[in-house]
Amino acid sequence: MLKTIKEIFRTGDATVKYPFAPIERPPYARGKPEHDVAACIACAACAVACPPNAIQMKVDPKGGTITWSINYGRCVFCGRCEEVCPTKAIKLSEEFELAVMDKNDLEETCTYPLQRCSECGTYFASAKEVDYAVRILRQGEDDDEKQRAAASATICPKCKQKADAYRAKRRSALMGVQQ
Amino acid sequence: MTKSKKNVKRVGETHVNAAKERFPGAITDVFWAAEEQPVLTVNADSAPDVIEYLYYERGGWMPVMVGNDERSLAGVYALYYILSMEEEDPCYLMVRVEVPADTCEFYAVSPKVPAAVWSEREVQDMFGLHATGIIDNRNLVLPDDWPQGLYPLRKDTMDYRFRPEPTRDVENYEFLKDTGGHHTTTLPMGPMHMTSDEPGHFRLYVDGEDIIDADYRMFFVHRGMEKCAESRMNYDTVPFLAERICGICGFAHSTAYVETIEQAQGIEVPLRAQYIRSIILETERLHSHLLNLGLVCHYSGFDTGFQHYFRVREKSMDLAEMLTGARKTYGINLIGGVRRDILAEQKTATLKYIEDLRSEVNNLVEELLSTANFINRAAGVGILDPKIARDYSPVGPTVRGSGFARDARWVHPFDGYKYIADKHKPITQDTNDVKGRTLVRVGETLDSMDIIQELLQAELPDGPVLNDKATVQPHRYAVSATEAPRGEDLHWSMIGDNQKCYRWRAKASTYSNWPVLRYMFRGNTISDAALIVGSIDPCYSCTERMTIVDVKKNKQQVVTKQQLEDYCRTRTHSPLDM
Repeated sequence: MLKTIKEIFRTGDATVKYPFAPIERPPYARGKPEHDVAACIACAACAVACPPNAIQMKVDPKGGTITWSINYGRCVFCGRCEEVCPTKAIKLSEEFELAVMDKNDLEETCTYPLQRCSECGTYFASAKEVDYAVRILRQGEDDDEKQRAAASATICPKCKQKADAYRAKRRSALMGVQQ
Repeated sequence: MTKSKKNVKRVGETHVNAAKERFPGAITDVFWAAEEQPVLTVNADSAPDVIEYLYYERGGWMPVMVGNDERSLAGVYALYYILSMEEEDPCYLMVRVEVPADTCEFYAVSPKVPAAVWSEREVQDMFGLHATGIIDNRNLVLPDDWPQGLYPLRKDTMDYRFRPEPTRDVENYEFLKDTGGHHTTTLPMGPMHMTSDEPGHFRLYVDGEDIIDADYRMFFVHRGMEKCAESRMNYDTVPFLAERICGICGFAHSTAYVETIEQAQGIEVPLRAQYIRSIILETERLHSHLLNLGLVCHYSGFDTGFQHYFRVREKSMDLAEMLTGARKTYGINLIGGVRRDILAEQKTATLKYIEDLRSEVNNLVEELLSTANFINRAAGVGILDPKIARDYSPVGPTVRGSGFARDARWVHPFDGYKYIADKHKPITQDTNDVKGRTLVRVGETLDSMDIIQELLQAELPDGPVLNDKATVQPHRYAVSATEAPRGEDLHWSMIGDNQKCYRWRAKASTYSNWPVLRYMFRGNTISDAALIVGSIDPCYSCTERMTIVDVKKNKQQVVTKQQLEDYCRTRTHSPLDM
């Protein structure tokens, strides 16, 4: 009994002033994911990795846009999005006080334009993603290859397939002539 | 046993050979699902005998049985009785029984090995496979108003989002009572309180103050996680779902899940990651045991102690947050390793935390054990007879308090525990009562701190903590267990050919402990009930609502959690006005 009372005096107050005073979180604590609008290329890697589907992508094929959205109400703060992002456009911040008065405020969205195919004119991928691919392709060594790759970057997979098929047909026809 | 050691090539082979010798012709196929996990396919009619033999004569325990709809793979349903062989040649052994898709019937194992009863009831509910001769034929998981013939885990029955219309309004669940001839009537009460986060319905059959028998019903909030994982999640995102099975031992669940995949696919986990997993598991054990010890103080009327345990527990939460980035749901497990390394400064800080914790915990334990109240309340209460324990395979401090040295960390060492297994052994008590279980927790709390220190101070090779170069093949399966604070968490998984789990079975530790609670209640008084439930360390709101039936006067009354707790502490002013 006496020991318990001594212990009470020794330890004093265990509580902290939070929420009336700010509380310190350790470094690397995982909080709200912050989206860098400029760095994001709308490639959807985060949407694929997100376990609770808090991050989703929605394509509007008529309007030619792709919309990235996050719902902080679903987010489990695992940080997989940060890990898989190729351009470091998502970073987990230290902010953890996310309560809102209106549920709709939990959702954030960002809309990006889609790229039209330079052959058939349909939208096929995020414009910034195509641009990102071109920039990577330009870093190659072979100048010829670089140019060809960059030139074909704006062609949709369907048209590429078609072009490949025609080329193959032409080649086999040519070979037939030679024989 | 004249066989020379030379002939024994694989882990578990002694059991396989012994079973083959004892039951010629019963075992149709043997293979190893993972390095140390033999699978025996057994004829349906000899399965109960084979399992009884392995269980009682070769030192087996049964954590769970897994049902699987393998009609698209093998044309049959399959049941995997998982046996944890804990005497010589320790391993996890699976007995596979095929159930024909047309009859959907199999011979129940539970009359011979009662530990199988919950799993068999669950398979009846979820797959519609009928266990002939089962000792308890009631629903386990499905609610009373569930449509007949709709079996959620069959592959062709329902989408995971489907919510069938309730089919009836009346409760048709019969509560068991074995009251020695007294006639009782039972009124339907409950079944649950809307505000409680984890409801369960208890019925105590009492004679005055003494509990004659008890029964209870769970699964009011079955979340359908396994179905969700099979249909919606990818197999590599399931660790984050597994972590949310339990708010306390989440990391133990996610570790168990990722290790089923690693075992089945032969994925090598970097040494550093193995150590980190063990360190985090022990951190989790620290905060859970400190919580339970605090609750024991609370229920024996020593609330100052409760507050102090919670003050000290906060340090272990801070430790977890520093190491993983979150107080709970650490989220650092991935298939193939972990996502966060422990850096040099974190190592120093952890050792400092452990030093602080050790002196604080030593103080508190001394205080608790010198409180006369605690010994009075806990000694001789809630006896778990070792014979009952042997039949039902309970886990964790519940079984260790009855003298059995069952601890997945040291019986089937995994992760970092492999490298220190020779220095530790399961902590047991043989008083079989609430006091014994509490002392096991006290011992383990202190042991946990030793383990963290040993693992941190080991010379660890530098290098990556994640092996993400693995390839996976569909339809391989394995079992994996971790020792959570309340006992063994066991997972079984099989990956399908669509990047999803074909079947994932997660067994939480308390699943194994509920079936023995009935026997622990018997012979105690109502004021002990809360203490007994607390001693298996479930989530406490399970006692939210309790119906008490006086077997002599044939009367019923509902006691609230608050009344019961108060009575447990003060032991005066009985809530019963019978």
